[in-house]
Amino acid sequence: MIKVIRVAKIEPFIEKEDDGMIICRCEEITKGEIRRAVYEGMRTINEVKRYLRAGMGLCQGQTCQRLVQNIMAQELKTKPSELGMIQGRAPARPVEIDIFSNNITDVKEG
Amino acid sequence: MRRHELIVIGAGPAGLSAAIEAKKAGMDVVVFDENERPGGQLFKQIHKFFGSREHHAKVRGFRIGQELLQEAESLGVDVKLNSVVMGIYENKEVTVKKDNAVNHYKADAIIIATGAAENMLPFKGWDIPGVIGAGAAQTMMNIQGVQPGSKVLMVGSGNVGLVVSFQLLQAGCEIVGIIDAAPRVGGYGVHAAKVARTGVPFYLSHTIVEAKGTDCVTGAVIAQVDDRFQPIPGTEKELSVDTICVAVGLTPMAQLASNATCDIALLPQKGGHVALLSKCGETSVEGIYCAGDVAGIEEASSAMIQGRSVATYVCLKAGYLSEEEFQEKYDRYQAALGQLRQGMFSPENKGRNDFTVTDEGYPVSSNLLAHGYMTEDELDNFPAYTYKKAGVHPVIECTQNIPCNPCQDSCKVGCIKVGENITMLPAIDEEKKCVGCGMCVASCSGQAIFLVDETYGEGYATVAFPYEFIPVPQVGDQGTALDRQGKPVCAADIVEVKKSSVMDKTVVVTMKVPLAFVNSARFYKAGGQRG
Amino acid sequence: MRIIQHPILGEYEKGEKVHFTLDGEDMTGFEGEAIAAALKAAGIMIHRYTVKEHKPRGLFCAIGRCTDCVMIVNGQSNVRTCITPLEEGMIVQTQYGVEAQEVWEANNK
Repeated sequence: MIKVIRVAKIEPFIEKEDDGMIICRCEEITKGEIRRAVYEGMRTINEVKRYLRAGMGLCQGQTCQRLVQNIMAQELKTKPSELGMIQGRAPARPVEIDIFSNNITDVKEG
Repeated sequence: MRRHELIVIGAGPAGLSAAIEAKKAGMDVVVFDENERPGGQLFKQIHKFFGSREHHAKVRGFRIGQELLQEAESLGVDVKLNSVVMGIYENKEVTVKKDNAVNHYKADAIIIATGAAENMLPFKGWDIPGVIGAGAAQTMMNIQGVQPGSKVLMVGSGNVGLVVSFQLLQAGCEIVGIIDAAPRVGGYGVHAAKVARTGVPFYLSHTIVEAKGTDCVTGAVIAQVDDRFQPIPGTEKELSVDTICVAVGLTPMAQLASNATCDIALLPQKGGHVALLSKCGETSVEGIYCAGDVAGIEEASSAMIQGRSVATYVCLKAGYLSEEEFQEKYDRYQAALGQLRQGMFSPENKGRNDFTVTDEGYPVSSNLLAHGYMTEDELDNFPAYTYKKAGVHPVIECTQNIPCNPCQDSCKVGCIKVGENITMLPAIDEEKKCVGCGMCVASCSGQAIFLVDETYGEGYATVAFPYEFIPVPQVGDQGTALDRQGKPVCAADIVEVKKSSVMDKTVVVTMKVPLAFVNSARFYKAGGQRG
Repeated sequence: MRIIQHPILGEYEKGEKVHFTLDGEDMTGFEGEAIAAALKAAGIMIHRYTVKEHKPRGLFCAIGRCTDCVMIVNGQSNVRTCITPLEEGMIVQTQYGVEAQEVWEANNK
């Protein structure tokens, strides 16, 4: 079970030197933004994903998922396994909207 | 929607092997692959595989891929390319994006063989053009025929980092260095040794701090790390590179299994999040299976056997095989897998760094792990290296227990013995007389066998070594012999060059060196100072 | 740089030589190879500029997974040049955000 503990942060957010480093390449989300999201109460990777769009870009988190987990684990002083995996959902790869309108339910041979 | 008895997702080594096995048993099977070509990563592997004959040892990866494809084609396995599986739904309905439409299929069984994705290492400037994944370098060199860059820094010393570094050298690129934050080389010692002898430096306990450049990479700053892998201030070193290649591991692509509501767990031994599987490869959802790297990061050889093993169970469940037929095949495949999963680098030993002796009791080379090459003192502990005989004889510098035995099969005279347990180190049979054919030199996938003759005469010795670069040295060429670290040691004259189709592009080159250097001369470079 | 002869692979099978343009400049490549391969052979490193920070990106994964190599091809944005085969007469443009250079520059005076 994922332990989700939210406590009101009393101390201020501490900036770090490498906060400007890009983590989610597709959506251009920096390490600082992820750290701040955790500071603001995000406790699982799916929450950070929805809050920042990290993992929602064209590569769907393939490049950044582990990196985001590691940063969150460092901030929360916990193990990456406590943060969950980005929930796999269809479509597994980006698909243009107009293709959805072309729905073939009776696939012919070939 | 169109129904199939078996849908295989992914036409890489595991997926194709599974489809072949199912088709042979008579199942109706279709394979979907999102790429333009089948074969997964197999066609990029231009090195010779390890293992034994049944694992395709000594055969280059892309040739194994070609054989697999041919077998699939001859059986009429339906492989649909450019077909992206979008999702797995209730009752094993599968949607596939193909030809600008969403196609609906339904399966009785699904084998997910989607493979793995490369891990990344973020550092300052990692988004500048010129920072690429190791797989990208392979695709560019081995598929597209284009150099990824001219001066490359390789980040990561696991098998991928080592093998791709060697391939970059073969493609004519310069490797400025191989770095790893760990204090020891992560991949096979022989992979490191064949790169080290060309002169590539290893920087262990180093990490990359910054990629320099604005529009493209112009340099890389590396720094030593402490035992908590943090950069030590003041140890920064800038290297002039135009390409930074990142090879820091693989993670299974388990998204479709997650989508299908299979139970997922984070298992670091397997490489990341994977679906929990039964002995036969079934997930927690009845009828959905995983095979290959998606089930746990191993090798292509393991993936192919896993694919067959899982498909065998699917055939049993579907009524295409009897219990006896299934058990016979399953046991055979599991035994073959077991053979591969042994030794120093086996999945259960992953992460272990406390090896001090080999299975035979010889001290493990610490220099190999720390610098990528062995010292003569360390090699002196290994009988297959110290063995001497008048006339030409093999010298084997294979010092880690890895399941591999093509050297044994390659010697027609029977000089080299590995034995039943293929992880044992090769030993030389003192009764047999080597004829100097060079087959062992060419057949060793680790390029760790040399033919030496200390009795060549007039104060000289000859050393025959494997050569896989162009231009190939010619008889009569005069150059310099390099030692295991790639440092020039003495003048060398090329006296023989052996090529044959059976050696499959590994040329066996023999150089003449002064006798004093017979134990250190292990590679060759044209030119250099004479006398 | 193209690899003309490889010690293991020998010569690479390539299609017919074809012409295409990159941001209006004449280029050549081989039919059927990845557009990115032809660009790499010509020494091109930058494929696009990012939406938010206008940073340059180029080839990264080379197998169609990361989308850092996308460019505008024959008017269509977000085309993954590392897996799209080159054809005669293709019009390839550096992608600015999701648009062509003129459009982006007009919108970002």
